[in-house]
Amino acid sequence: MLRAFSTAATGMSAQQMMVDTIANNLANINTTGFKRSQINFGELLYVTMQEPGTEVASGINSPGGLEIGSGVRVISTVKVYTPGELQNTERNLDIAISGDGFLQVTLPSGDIRYTRDGALQLNANGELVTMTGYILEPAITVPTDAVSVSIAKDGGVNVTDPSGTSSVVGTLQLVRFPNPSGLLSEGDNLLAETLASGTPTTGTAGEAGFGTIQSGFLEKSNVQMVTELVNLITAQRAYEINSRAIKVGDDMLRTANEIVR
Amino acid sequence: MSEVTTQVSSSIDALMREFDIITHNLANVSTVGYKRTCNAFSKSLETRSTGQQTYSPGVIDLETAFDFSQGNLVETGRPLDFALYGKGFFVIETPSGPLYTRNGVFSTNQNGQIVDSVGRIVGGGAGPITIPAGVAPSQLNVSGDGSISAGGITIGKFGLVDFQENENKLVPAGENCYRMPVQDVRPVAAENVVVKHRYQEASNVKMIDELVDILMVSRLYEANMKFVTAQEETSSSILSVAMG
Repeated sequence: MLRAFSTAATGMSAQQMMVDTIANNLANINTTGFKRSQINFGELLYVTMQEPGTEVASGINSPGGLEIGSGVRVISTVKVYTPGELQNTERNLDIAISGDGFLQVTLPSGDIRYTRDGALQLNANGELVTMTGYILEPAITVPTDAVSVSIAKDGGVNVTDPSGTSSVVGTLQLVRFPNPSGLLSEGDNLLAETLASGTPTTGTAGEAGFGTIQSGFLEKSNVQMVTELVNLITAQRAYEINSRAIKVGDDMLRTANEIVR
Repeated sequence: MSEVTTQVSSSIDALMREFDIITHNLANVSTVGYKRTCNAFSKSLETRSTGQQTYSPGVIDLETAFDFSQGNLVETGRPLDFALYGKGFFVIETPSGPLYTRNGVFSTNQNGQIVDSVGRIVGGGAGPITIPAGVAPSQLNVSGDGSISAGGITIGKFGLVDFQENENKLVPAGENCYRMPVQDVRPVAAENVVVKHRYQEASNVKMIDELVDILMVSRLYEANMKFVTAQEETSSSILSVAMG
């Protein structure tokens, strides 16, 4: 059978994955702290029928070889950690990390996860939690009688008590990874450490390599609608042309079938 | 079988192979750093018919070659995307020897070393390039010659090589990489190449050109098949005359 059928099929499935990735990026265009995914393709192995430089006659080496590729595969999808736009929300517990770094949260199971979603809230015990209710690590408890809470650029959480005195009840800690693209996305804006991401380094906002904390802002997603739409069109056309190749191959085989009538 | 029939069937074979090659190009229309494979069989038929080439019966030019022309540069903004403009390759270190690639979509591994998208180490001038722990990828500055620095401190330099006129002797190794052929081809330091930071080099496959080639191949194939059919009819009528 024609090798071209399976080659074109790999092309179609790769483009389909690209559409899937773009669709997820577009769906999350308004998700706080979302980082867009980029899909990477690689060629499949070639069938080498003749290596370049093979001796075709004594003393004569062929200048080229005969190599037929067998299509394409998706190597990886990586998160692109470019900064998202900062949106002013004027809410005192909304924070954006301007620069590198993740917040840590503790799951009910005790495991640690990482996020850049800084829409923080207080739970019933006065602990700082994320939108989905996970407690920040290290836990910061705001006294129940606090009149106001503010978060400084270095992550220090200031509270003012009814008598008007302010005190720091804790400092947000940030972590960095050697390879943030290697983090595993678990949904709910949470990321998990993997072998590829490397081990986290903890620090406070503003230290070397760490970003600073902007209170009253949220980091929007870094998805650019126009770029995604252009990619979508490209993927669609590429899908189409690969299916056209299958059609042509089909026609060729039909012609072959018609020889014997 | 007559000599003509043999020639037609080998020509059909070559056209099928060319079709395989075109579909491979089409499948890789969005593969970063991909270089299209060209197969000149249908074109060599064309030049023969216009008499530009001496006709040598039975010899079919089946060689494939890579078209190493520049692909478009696409800005992505990702701090570890690099595109090469001009002639040259990045070096990928593998246990079985170096590979060469134009795909500059890199990442860092758990040790902070720059690796390619399947995790193999990208060669610097001297060993792997390690991004220090205090430096975020977004702080990297990469100059046109491939030197990487952050905050004024030099981190490393991409080892860029060129094969000059031997480029076509490279053997594809999959994943957009090439390896050196067994015979004596050695890379030299690349001179006419510029590293573009936060860019990707798009595949140099042009959809329209490939479509035109596909049409050409399928028509030539059809014509060859017609010939086989005609030949069959002729021989059967000759047979029926002979057999009465």
